[in-house]
Amino acid sequence: MTNRYRRIRWLTALGATMTLALTACGGDGGGDSAGSDDPIVVGISLPLTGDFSEPGKGVQRGYEAWAKITNDKGGLLGRKVELKILDDQSNADRVVADYEQLIGSDQVDLVVGPFSTRLVVPAARVAEEYGMLFVEPAGAAKEVFEQGFKNLFYAAPAVANDHYNHLAEYLLALPADQRPKTAAYAAMDDPFAQGTAYGLKEKLEAAGIRTVVDEVYPPNTTDFGSIAAKIAASRADIVVGGSQYQDGVNLIVALQQLKYQPKLAAFSTAPTNPEFAAAIGNKTEGILSPTGYTQKAPYPSNKEFVEKYTAQFGTPPEEDEANAYTTGQVVAAAVTAVGCAEQGECQKKLVEWVRGNTVETVVGPLSWDETGKPKGAHMIQQWVGGEIQIVLPADAKETDLVYPKPAW
Amino acid sequence: MPSGALLFQSVILGLLLGGLYALLAAGLTLYFGIMRVVMIAHSAFLILAAYLAWWSHTRLGVDPLLSMVVTVPLFFGAGVLLQRLLLARLRAATLTMMSVLLTFAIAVTIEGLLGYAFTGTQRRIQLGYGSASFGLFGARIAVVKLIAFGLAAVALLTLYLLMKKTTFGWALRATIQHRDAARLVGIETEKVAGYGFGIGLATAAVGGTALALDTTIYPSLHWHWIGPLMAIIVVGGLGSVPGAAMAAMVLGMAQSLLQIPLGTTWAQTIFYLALFATLAFRPQGFFGGRLAQRF
Repeated sequence: MTNRYRRIRWLTALGATMTLALTACGGDGGGDSAGSDDPIVVGISLPLTGDFSEPGKGVQRGYEAWAKITNDKGGLLGRKVELKILDDQSNADRVVADYEQLIGSDQVDLVVGPFSTRLVVPAARVAEEYGMLFVEPAGAAKEVFEQGFKNLFYAAPAVANDHYNHLAEYLLALPADQRPKTAAYAAMDDPFAQGTAYGLKEKLEAAGIRTVVDEVYPPNTTDFGSIAAKIAASRADIVVGGSQYQDGVNLIVALQQLKYQPKLAAFSTAPTNPEFAAAIGNKTEGILSPTGYTQKAPYPSNKEFVEKYTAQFGTPPEEDEANAYTTGQVVAAAVTAVGCAEQGECQKKLVEWVRGNTVETVVGPLSWDETGKPKGAHMIQQWVGGEIQIVLPADAKETDLVYPKPAW
Repeated sequence: MPSGALLFQSVILGLLLGGLYALLAAGLTLYFGIMRVVMIAHSAFLILAAYLAWWSHTRLGVDPLLSMVVTVPLFFGAGVLLQRLLLARLRAATLTMMSVLLTFAIAVTIEGLLGYAFTGTQRRIQLGYGSASFGLFGARIAVVKLIAFGLAAVALLTLYLLMKKTTFGWALRATIQHRDAARLVGIETEKVAGYGFGIGLATAAVGGTALALDTTIYPSLHWHWIGPLMAIIVVGGLGSVPGAAMAAMVLGMAQSLLQIPLGTTWAQTIFYLALFATLAFRPQGFFGGRLAQRF
């Protein structure tokens, strides 16, 4: 511990010295004009090896696509964008050292976030000490926004608890006689999966929709028969699953085996998986799922992103790639609006700009509260006519939400 | 207070689950009985068989149950080879300990190869009757769960008859009960142990197929199974197949019923509570199995 405090003190000292030095430079009026031909260097640390290497590489592709698309259009402020990516090996200590190196000794002009909550928090702390704008593509957990960060912004539509907001609004707006009266919830014991289901639960309970089953199961659950039996016996009007993948699939099949027919079935993550329909024998009709990103989203920049990304990498982008690209879009919007990209005073202006504005991105318009939490909600998709389609919000929908859902 | 319908449904689910547990644990207790081997890789072989069933269904289009025509003899052969080539070489003094290490290595190898061959993507057999069920006094019985239960019943009955009615079975039981004495009366215990091991692994082929019918499978799934299965065979009395079957039924039923008041997380602990209770008060197991007394 002492060691760590010493390091932080040392860092603060270094940060202060550097800020002074930079302000001094800025005083010469060198800033923008002097470096106008230099590339804008964006520093990133990513888990390219270790536990998070799969999503880490996805995020890397997203950033690379952003840099390429931006540069093809002439760069930012007339300068080329250059990425400087370090590998933190999915290690929280490494990620701190990486950002110290990027900001301190490599003197990058901008930084953007790594992947996963576990790495976002320590990385954000370093960025905060140096006063750098810190937009991040992953780190949806509540804790991220409880650290008092002033420079952090999460570049996605919503945190886990807000994923179902559009669905909650839709259900509560139904006429009283059609509104569901009872609900059953089953969620994996995992902050993300549980967050999605409990976010909806809170809102529905507040509106008087009674919770008749509230089950939490550990990630290693292999038998879903008993959970399904409880839900089926409760005859709840709607069922909400805070699921990852296999648990969602197994629970849906178990419910179908018990001939339980709810008016609405919403599960996180699983229904958007390409294997989903085959896994449950195509009995998907009417199943809902929140989604942070889909290639079909009608936002103008998304079309360009999907096209150019597919041309660059051969496959269409998934959510990790899109989140990284979104991060790039937010930073680019701020840089373009403020007209600078370097350490020091400029970063403060960038932070202020992002806080006060709405940015059009591939996942829709984003804006943030004072903790850096996005104010949006996820799109809701539903299996209609054998394919998964956007049904909420109204301005993005491909087809109408079907409620009550047909029997499965 | 849970309704009568829910209780009845849970009893049915508990029975079906217990039957599956009994099948999955049968091989595990057999290995221990024959050789004092703790076979960590048993559940990895279950998942391997499940993958083979999935593969033959998706790629070759045959019913997963038919895959057993190939996997059962294949696993029997693999079991014999495994015992003769690897486990028989372990020194008797450290056999139990070393077998844990050896079979752990085998489990990790199987998991790695499955990941390499089929990737980590989670798979599920898509059956026309996957979500079909029929009613019984208000409860629903899923067809796939009933098939799995039927497989368990047939496999365990066959195993029982084999052990009780055939000369090989007598030799196998003699080897389990007292190896030296068995050798004295002229039983080739080495060979018998090899075949016994093969039979144990053959039950894994049946069990894995039963598992594949109603679960999503992925390479690391076996770690979720080995703990409860180990608990079952200890509670049932190490080395006793009927004991393991009884323990599996009781624990499966207990898990299913406890889920109503306690929820999934706590209901799972019944396996480990039963394991503690057994080790503390009745180390030889609750159902049959005098074997463990000697340890």
